[in-house]
Amino acid sequence: MDIAALQIKMREAFRVEAADLLAELDSSMLELESRPQDADLLNRVFRAIHTIKGSGATAGFNEMAAFTHHVEELFDEARMGRLTITPEMIDLALRAKDLIGQLLESDSPATQEPACTQVVAALARFLPHLTKPSSNGQTKTTRAEAQRQRHKIFFKPHPQVFFSGTDPVTLVDELCALGAATVTAQVAGIPPLESLNPEQCYLAWEVELVSAQPAAKIKEVFLFVEDESEIRIESRLEPAPGETGKADPVAAFLNIAGQSLEALDGFLSHLRGATGPDRECCKNYLRILKTFQAAASRQNHKESAALLEEQIHLLDSAITGSVALSDETKGNLEEGYQQLVALIQSLRENTPYGSGLETPATLQPAVAAPTAASVADGPKKEAVHVAASIRVDQDKLDRLIQSAGELLVARNAFPILAKRLALEHGLSGMGKEVKDAGDHISRIAEDLQAAVMSIRMLPIRTVFQRFPRMVRDICRTQGKEAELLLEGEDTELDKTVIEQIADPLVHLVRNAADHGIEAPDVRMQRDKPRVGKVTLKAYNKANNVVIEVQDDGRGMDPARLKQKALEKGLITPSAAAAMDDRAALELIFLPGLSTAEQVTGISGRGVGMDVVRSNIRQLHGTTTIESRMGAGSKITITLPASLMVSRGILVEAKGEEYVFPIESVVQMVRLSSDRIHRHEQAHFATFRDEVFPVLRLANHFACAGQLSETSWPAEVPLAIVQTNRGRVGVAVDRFIGQVEVIVKPMRRDFADIAAFQGTTIMGDGRVALVINPAGFI
Amino acid sequence: MTKTIMVVDDSTSMRQMVNFTLAAAGYQVVEATDGVDALAKISAQKVDLFLTDLNMPNLDGIQLTRQLRAAPGYRFTPIVLLTTESHQEKKIEGKAAGATGWIVKPFQVEQLLAVVKKVCP
Repeated sequence: MDIAALQIKMREAFRVEAADLLAELDSSMLELESRPQDADLLNRVFRAIHTIKGSGATAGFNEMAAFTHHVEELFDEARMGRLTITPEMIDLALRAKDLIGQLLESDSPATQEPACTQVVAALARFLPHLTKPSSNGQTKTTRAEAQRQRHKIFFKPHPQVFFSGTDPVTLVDELCALGAATVTAQVAGIPPLESLNPEQCYLAWEVELVSAQPAAKIKEVFLFVEDESEIRIESRLEPAPGETGKADPVAAFLNIAGQSLEALDGFLSHLRGATGPDRECCKNYLRILKTFQAAASRQNHKESAALLEEQIHLLDSAITGSVALSDETKGNLEEGYQQLVALIQSLRENTPYGSGLETPATLQPAVAAPTAASVADGPKKEAVHVAASIRVDQDKLDRLIQSAGELLVARNAFPILAKRLALEHGLSGMGKEVKDAGDHISRIAEDLQAAVMSIRMLPIRTVFQRFPRMVRDICRTQGKEAELLLEGEDTELDKTVIEQIADPLVHLVRNAADHGIEAPDVRMQRDKPRVGKVTLKAYNKANNVVIEVQDDGRGMDPARLKQKALEKGLITPSAAAAMDDRAALELIFLPGLSTAEQVTGISGRGVGMDVVRSNIRQLHGTTTIESRMGAGSKITITLPASLMVSRGILVEAKGEEYVFPIESVVQMVRLSSDRIHRHEQAHFATFRDEVFPVLRLANHFACAGQLSETSWPAEVPLAIVQTNRGRVGVAVDRFIGQVEVIVKPMRRDFADIAAFQGTTIMGDGRVALVINPAGFI
Repeated sequence: MTKTIMVVDDSTSMRQMVNFTLAAAGYQVVEATDGVDALAKISAQKVDLFLTDLNMPNLDGIQLTRQLRAAPGYRFTPIVLLTTESHQEKKIEGKAAGATGWIVKPFQVEQLLAVVKKVCP
């Protein structure tokens, strides 16, 4: 996790809220001036200041928080009835409020310092016992004695401990992670089964812990339970082997590492022996590895932690599988050990305690005091990153987006006007000018649209970031090994899409890790790398965003899918016979088809891929699948990058579906055919004393040949639409209904067809043309 | 499985900050603006850990803890109070109501994660 980046995000989030709170304080403090006894009002003021202080300090505004503390005290005293707010106090508080605002804006809090000191001094007159805020909750690690000590710890939790949401076993585990521990559970307190209350804790533990951690660290484990539990800690010095002398986290880690490696060496020589180790011995080894691993991850020493993770896994599966350790596993263990030795060696050589050299880069995050350093260069980094932001009501934003969208439609009038000027009025020069002006406006409209839509765009990172943890958890519970590769996390998608894409992706990534990736031994047998790979990738392609979920696992068997679908009666035998592999893979999207050999707790209940596809469809996207037996599968989701949602009327004409933008339709009527008249080649209708031309949608686009001579049905469904030249009745075969559409512009080759605004993907995946009424005649 | 943590605080930015931190560490986070909101949201999904502010309108952290302990399915769920140094006596009250532990505000990212990991490993 990138803590610096997190801090920046936090600071931005806090600035936004603080601005609101400060604005509220302005008015509520003024109110308070006229009603100084109003308890509700006092509480409101106090809470706002309290939040600014608390959240501000968490966000890293330490100077601001320290200053705000004094103001908070004033109102806390008033809240408690120990002093009465006077106009002078309000004056001072308002000045303090302004300073808080400045401190938040400023990159160098030092500028405000004299003013702050003045206010604090003035406040002190009202608060005779004014105190400095207690430490900012930052505990300073003492660099005192790092001697290894042998601690004897006795822990007997309160019988009702479970009701405080505490699991005492996790505390014992925590102790074990501090060093080399031997745990003995005292079970004498457990009553006979018939009188046992399962919601009560009868156990006590005795832990013998050899650790370089100071006794305070051990006490800290019991922080939340120390009042009600029986806890005894006896510590005595353990003769230290060799060089480590200081209570430094690195030294402590090296210490644990040294011991562990020593023990592991013993185990491995056992392993090389003729008889080999027994289960008990393996378990011991496993325990040592786990302690070592815990220490490594605490130390943030990623390389060794990862190595150890691997080793633990190797051995764990060997033990639980109760198989004899294969030569290969032995080889892997041996190799891992050698790498660990090398890693620890280089760490030892690079630490100041080893040779007086600078701390190596890999260890800096763990060694550098996090607070001082990050605060010091915080503002500098932020200056680059900070984006001045304002919060806008979503409705206002949507209105803006709507208008920009309408502008895009309206610009379509220009080319038509230009054509009319040229052809009907013989003003081709004028026509060209209108066209040029139109093109210019059109470009601006496009820019505006893009800018407006970008407001709603968010990086997909927010969705992706949950997956590393998920894949890791699946692997842990399934005994698998897989790494997740994330690509294109900065790819942006519309806010709505981001919100709705998470669930389908969870499903796909789960499937990939759970069903796709094989168990490590199977992979080895198939000559594949032991560690499986799941790739999650997002990128832009034309107007779309493509998301791929790919694994290098077992792949899907088209034949099996067919068979499954047949068994479940989802397809007919003849349909199955006619299916090629590609089509067979598509079967996975059928509701009720699940091919998991065994239904696991994680996935494979058959409620999956069909839901994924329909969810994606709702986002106007498509889902495709590719899979090769033994090589893995790839699911590709293609989504429109931005959603331009508008409403339309769906109609049918000669078997084709068209959409009228709803803003263009004046009225929909069913007109009896005797109100339609023919004059030469054209038809007219009278409706409510208005005469307007009528045309048939099907004929207009000349689908299925010219059919202009066919007679009218008794009742004609007519959409009366507004065009540039007045109203036109458009006869269709059928009104289907109102739909929400996302209009996608026509591809380059068709972009000149004025009659259409573009196309839209219907809820069921078909494509319909969206009519541009402006280009109708 | 991904653990779900509910953050109950009336400060938007505090909720956001906790949310950022936990989400970055791979947790699923649900936000609630106060005790009443929290109780309304607990049936929608199983919550594995609650982080709650003390001083909130409508229903405060102590009352929320009491009501959670009485709610089916949440009798043994860890509840961690977000307190400030001035709330020493509230800590004891919180403990009595059934809270698991506390984090003193303001806290550092690492501290928050350490406590979360401690009570909800």
